Amino acid sequence: MDGIAGRSAWRAKNYMRSIFYLLDRAPYGSEKAYGLLNAAAVSIKMDLTLGLYADGVYLALAGQDSRLLATANLSDILYAYPEIKVVAHEPSLLERGLMNQELIELVDLADEDYFLNRMADADGLVVL
Amino acid sequence: MKTLIIILTDGPYISEYAEMAAKVARAALKEHRVNIFLYLDAVHIPKAGQSPSIFKNAGELFRDLAAEGVVIRACSRCAAARGYLPEDGGVCKDYYPGIVIGSLYDLAKMLKCSDRVMALTG
Repeated sequence: MDGIAGRSAWRAKNYMRSIFYLLDRAPYGSEKAYGLLNAAAVSIKMDLTLGLYADGVYLALAGQDSRLLATANLSDILYAYPEIKVVAHEPSLLERGLMNQELIELVDLADEDYFLNRMADADGLVVL
Repeated sequence: MKTLIIILTDGPYISEYAEMAAKVARAALKEHRVNIFLYLDAVHIPKAGQSPSIFKNAGELFRDLAAEGVVIRACSRCAAARGYLPEDGGVCKDYYPGIVIGSLYDLAKMLKCSDRVMALTG
């Protein structure tokens, strides 16, 4: 384990942990979303969910173009790692007038109960 | 023995998360294993030579935790972006001893090994 303290080798090897990564910030303008997506990308051997909440739902929009920002197109990371299940909080989309917008086809809509239950059921919750 | 992971993203004095994490880690260490991952601006926490006027020295807190057995890893991409470069074995001459610059895959390993995940983030 490279010196990292942990559970028994057997359990670590055989147990499929579930991690819920919660993005509640806008995808561009800070390192938060990029950092969260990278953390998720290296964890794909676990059962992963990326939950888009509040301003995080802007990451669900199709047709993102970040070239003028001179930064990575974060939606490309979602396409590169289809192992990450992406759910967008429907009330957050509604509050921002985004329900009529085209969304990335990888993104599933989640109502309040489903979103919160999935978060609560995960073994770990990571918010940056 | 169970394992706790603490994830930090704030720098040392913009919030109290570094000090809070140190307190939680020290308490947990009495009965559990503790891993800490320093991500984004949290890679500033272990910088040696800090001299805060009104706060506890976060770098020294984390140096002491490492000496007591807490595994502390800093994200290499975040560290490089902020001018902290690893030498052999991830040791950084700008850091207090015991804190190592590792890869983001260390975070994945820590998450996989953990029984509890605590993210203290601003």
